[in-house]
Amino acid sequence: MEDLVDIEQEIRVKFPEAIVYVQPTRDVFPTYWISKDYIIPVLGFLKTAPGLQFKFLYDLSAIDEQARQNRGDQPESRFTVFYHLLSFSRNQFLRLKVACPEEKPSVPTATTVWQNANWYEREAYDMFGINFEGHPLLRRILMPQYWEGHPLQKAHPARATEMGQFKMPEDRMLVEQDILQFKPEEWGLSSHGNNNEDFMFLNLGPQHPGTHGVLRLVLQMDGESIVNIVPDIGFHHRGAEKMGERQSWHTYIPYTDRVEYLSGVMNNFPYVMAVEQMGGIEVPDRAKVIRIMLSELFRISSHLVWYGTFAQDLGMMTPVFLMFYDRERLFTIIEAICGDRMHPNWFRIGGVAQDLPNGWEDLVRDFLKYMPGRLNEYDKMIMKNRLFKARTKGIGVYNTEEAIEWGVTGAGLRATGLEWDFRKKQPYSGFDQFEFDVPIAVNGDCYDRSLVRIEEMRQSLRIIQQCVDNMPPGPYKSHHPLTTPPDKKHTMYDIETLINHFVNVSWGPVLPPDESYFGVESSKGHNGYYLVSDGSTMSYRTRIRTPSFPHIQFVPYYSKGYTIADLMAILGSVDFVLSDLDR
Amino acid sequence: MKWWTTRADDQQQKIQGNFSMEEAVKQSVVLTTMDSMVNWGRKNSIWPFNFGLSCCYVEMATSITSKYDVSRFGAEVIRGTPREADMMIVAGTVFIKMAPIIRHLYEQMMAPRWIIAMGACASSGGMYDIYSVVQGVDKFMPVDVYVPGCPPRPDAFLEGIVMLRDKVGQEKRPLSWTIGPQGIIKPQMPAMRELKRDARMKMTEIRPPDEV
Repeated sequence: MEDLVDIEQEIRVKFPEAIVYVQPTRDVFPTYWISKDYIIPVLGFLKTAPGLQFKFLYDLSAIDEQARQNRGDQPESRFTVFYHLLSFSRNQFLRLKVACPEEKPSVPTATTVWQNANWYEREAYDMFGINFEGHPLLRRILMPQYWEGHPLQKAHPARATEMGQFKMPEDRMLVEQDILQFKPEEWGLSSHGNNNEDFMFLNLGPQHPGTHGVLRLVLQMDGESIVNIVPDIGFHHRGAEKMGERQSWHTYIPYTDRVEYLSGVMNNFPYVMAVEQMGGIEVPDRAKVIRIMLSELFRISSHLVWYGTFAQDLGMMTPVFLMFYDRERLFTIIEAICGDRMHPNWFRIGGVAQDLPNGWEDLVRDFLKYMPGRLNEYDKMIMKNRLFKARTKGIGVYNTEEAIEWGVTGAGLRATGLEWDFRKKQPYSGFDQFEFDVPIAVNGDCYDRSLVRIEEMRQSLRIIQQCVDNMPPGPYKSHHPLTTPPDKKHTMYDIETLINHFVNVSWGPVLPPDESYFGVESSKGHNGYYLVSDGSTMSYRTRIRTPSFPHIQFVPYYSKGYTIADLMAILGSVDFVLSDLDR
Repeated sequence: MKWWTTRADDQQQKIQGNFSMEEAVKQSVVLTTMDSMVNWGRKNSIWPFNFGLSCCYVEMATSITSKYDVSRFGAEVIRGTPREADMMIVAGTVFIKMAPIIRHLYEQMMAPRWIIAMGACASSGGMYDIYSVVQGVDKFMPVDVYVPGCPPRPDAFLEGIVMLRDKVGQEKRPLSWTIGPQGIIKPQMPAMRELKRDARMKMTEIRPPDEV
């Protein structure tokens, strides 16, 4: 609480009229409503002021408040823009909100304070129609340019089946193809340089083996070297946030699996914890350890896919086959426990879906015995390979300062020398009870990012070993009434639990009107869910903060001057997933 | 036809047969029609296009690797360009923004060409009845085989390939624009649900989830 007073006082001293309202929230982030006129000076002040140092723009998006029933005494607003900031020195998050009560919402741009505000503001414009005054290039980012309306507005239809049948006659296809043509002027680029050089624009993607999915990059080339890159994203936009507004708290869990589809249950993790935080549900120890074990298994699985495909991007054919074989071994454990492979949908509000099956220990122990030797072998095969080193060392370099400015988390941040792992810094679900190290590297290039991830796999094995050795007995889900699905056994004894059970199974639990944020250290970086409840069975606003979004936004900045072959190494080393980028 | 193989570790194994003329002819002459010969070639070497949209693509890639090994079915020659490929596997969610591009890629493929809709999203939109998703790739492209699942296991995908092979083997296409009747006759393939129903209904014991 001392911190809370501190920030508020600092702002009040500097800008006496800036804070309009202090909102209490369930996640105990300090939450201040800031007057629109002051938001940019306040952001600048928070970023630089000694003792505050909120250097990291963690997330920026908006809430459409028009259908809201229970806002309490929050300031009047139609659209609320929120900013999540992170201070490394204070190890604290901060939330600022700006109310836009007017017909045409408009807020000054934060790109003057943070470089990475650019895409976040474009997204908020695309999804909500909020105008960011002074933004360098405010155009749609996720939806196609011809789209009408702003999907996350409450008035916009959610279902494709509400919008009429999809048809693509020849003429429409030609029009859409034409819209997709890259016109440099639209992006503020010129095809001629100052010294009379001619630039070539090269289209890479959305269908290209090196982009790991439907990512489109337009490269501005001067001969062999890259002058600039324009990422064109949104080809994988699956409306995961809008989906949250129509699924019950419980039935949204399968959708979280499919945001960042390589890490399976690790996506359930922040979501269920955000819901539990909002509902005040205490999770039993056994469920916590099961969750940690499974999510660390998935971290290894995700890193194996990255390792293999990265090596393949650099021309090595064999590793990907070996690593997918290891992944299959790992999936035998996941299948035995969860019953599915990639999207197990295994965590539940208040616990996990089921207890561990008999004989799970042997499976996990076998894997723990098997895997370290394989990792050593891969070190010899890949990390010590001269060609691999030549392709990755000194390529795609950035430092800690730049990484923070652009919102990089995860291995990309730790490879610059900053030891920042949310499992250590803000331990969740009992990670403070585990012994593990946070691997770091110093050079911040492609090779170092690989080193960090490989060492992370070893650390994950260490964590899993501790899970197997110390799996606590007890229930696998909480007895809290909001736990979904609730325990069946009590329903046979008294009417109240029977009613609870019936309502929670048929409609789903009702969470109090509140806000809750929770993030975890996922395999790609920091992944978080910001949930706004309006006191119903569904979320009012689900904001998914994914790591790949800022990571890809950052790529053009540090890829300039390299060749296309180097760009493949850089993209591979970023370790992004398209669904994580576009959601 | 009578034929045999020799085991690698058994070089000394005596060669079977009686070396008669009749047997030699049996071993080296095959009588068939041109149609089925071409179909046999086609169905055993379907070259897939390296194309993926989302989650399903990872399972499709898994089916190429060691444990599943799609090359058992002659479909491992992954092509980076649609112009060299015979088969496009629409593996993943079909996004509205991506639709014109998918169509464009499809049109670049040379006939004969086949499409597998892999996964619930590509078949029908699946879980994603949402503004940015086309409710199934068959809204703007013909589909030959639908593979259900979210995502389908690699085994399920391989079953889809086997079914496509059957279909390709039964297709009737003109051998040239000067030979025989023109036009393609595609076989009517039965729904697997119908074929498998009886066997499935017989299943009374389901493995409990409490054991690994």
